[in-house]
Amino acid sequence: MDGMTESMFKIGAQGVDTRAIVNEIRASVGRKAEQGLYSDPRIARAEKTNLSNLSDQEFDQYYMECLRDAVFVDINDFEIHERRRLFSGLLVGFKRLIWKMLRFYTYRLWSQQNEVNAILLAATEANDNRYRDKIEELEARIARLEGTK
Amino acid sequence: MSQATRLAFIAPRFPEGTTIGGAETLLKNLATCAAGAGREVTFLTTCARNHFTWDNETPPGERIIDGLRVHFFPVDQDRDVRTFARLQETISRGGRISTEDQLAWLSNSVNSRPLYDYLRKHGDEFDRIIMGPYLFGVTYFASCIHPEKTMLVPCLHDEAFAYLPVMGDMFRGVRGIMFNSEPERDLAYRLYSIQPGRCFVVGMGIAPFTTDASSFASQRGIRSPYVIYSGRREPLKGTPMLLDYINAFRNRTGRDIKLVVTGSGPMNVPHELIPHVLDVGFLEPQDKFAAMAGAVAFCHPSRNESFSIVIMESWLAGTPVLATSGSEVMRDHCLKSNGGLWFRSYPEFEEELCLLLDNPELRAALGKAGRDYVLREYSWATIKEKLFTALDANVP
Repeated sequence: MDGMTESMFKIGAQGVDTRAIVNEIRASVGRKAEQGLYSDPRIARAEKTNLSNLSDQEFDQYYMECLRDAVFVDINDFEIHERRRLFSGLLVGFKRLIWKMLRFYTYRLWSQQNEVNAILLAATEANDNRYRDKIEELEARIARLEGTK
Repeated sequence: MSQATRLAFIAPRFPEGTTIGGAETLLKNLATCAAGAGREVTFLTTCARNHFTWDNETPPGERIIDGLRVHFFPVDQDRDVRTFARLQETISRGGRISTEDQLAWLSNSVNSRPLYDYLRKHGDEFDRIIMGPYLFGVTYFASCIHPEKTMLVPCLHDEAFAYLPVMGDMFRGVRGIMFNSEPERDLAYRLYSIQPGRCFVVGMGIAPFTTDASSFASQRGIRSPYVIYSGRREPLKGTPMLLDYINAFRNRTGRDIKLVVTGSGPMNVPHELIPHVLDVGFLEPQDKFAAMAGAVAFCHPSRNESFSIVIMESWLAGTPVLATSGSEVMRDHCLKSNGGLWFRSYPEFEEELCLLLDNPELRAALGKAGRDYVLREYSWATIKEKLFTALDANVP
């Protein structure tokens, strides 16, 4: 928990102050985000069902960075598990063999998928920037109009 | 103020055995509380047990269950499920629909004409008719029969259905509304412009218990710290997000944390997380409390809560809460109790879970603060007083 003061851990007679803890956590997250510690495709995947609830502008920006990393499909070897106990060794061996045989054919799909992902992300970023600029322009216009009242 | 002695409670299902739902449990417990205080209580419900199919599984008729007189009525079988699903989908997307379609959506939701007939025939025998939750046909149409006696227990969430004009008509038309929390009441004020004099915050009493914090892990052979979630598993409850967060947490931090899940419903667990999720299904209360007591935290990822019985139980078990800040209600509970932390996004979740894992004293202090809060605010003695104040009040 680097970057956090010790004050938040102090537990006095009144117990703990959760508001102070959450504020410290948010400050810590902000600092780490600036350092790029959350530019991680794993976070992009973790947030996929929470995206519609994230309206914070700073978060949007770092999420875009996460997405940039996440567009590239991973085709490296992976650990193969088998949940069935009976013949598990045999089944794992069989799955490994199938993977070795089919891996070559995934390369073409992989390159095409990466290309599609990159195009989609570029379009999303372009839209995001355009809307952001438009909102800023409209906010400035509203402020000007309200100032002239 | 005159005492309302004859009470009818209405819920779409009756919680019994594995048929369980937060709103139904709340209504049953309020009914039991009122009966225990000497009020004459009748519970009206449907024969359905499954809230997806609404099949009539319980035989119709009257039974005495846990000291309550319960009338089971069959669900109407002529509902047009396709129309219901189509309209539900449109509403969920935030689409606007006509009043006619809103009523069609409710008419093809769960309804019971025999229950409505009973209420028309026997309505004079009751001083108050208490019903909920708000978004079922059975609640909407039952509330139209004797609105002057109806007390709504809406279990309201900030969701697309709450914005339908027909819901505003129901909230404004009934005698009174009993909310579970102040944020829920404030949401209703914002949405429906209802008179404050008809709104009451009641909630539900939670009986204290003691449990052994180490028994669950030792019985199940869990050697790593674990986070727990109890309840329905479905997207509206945020369980897919919880699975994604735990998976990312394990990957990013390298910490061996497990997820224990109790309750019902399917879960699509990511492949690599399967060995680290223990789905124990429906547990008896004492076993569930033991599971909660041994956890690092109870994580509640749902934005759609009007009270959350399980976080109260978790606090009584001495376990802190990690809740999504998307739920005003849970954030309010965490703030008032100092018993839990709330997160907006994965990074905050990661930081908070690391903080709890690394600080057993903080965990204990949060758990104790939460327990004190539940004992202070949600004892049955406190709730009984609030319930009868609401039921007996003269409203404007």
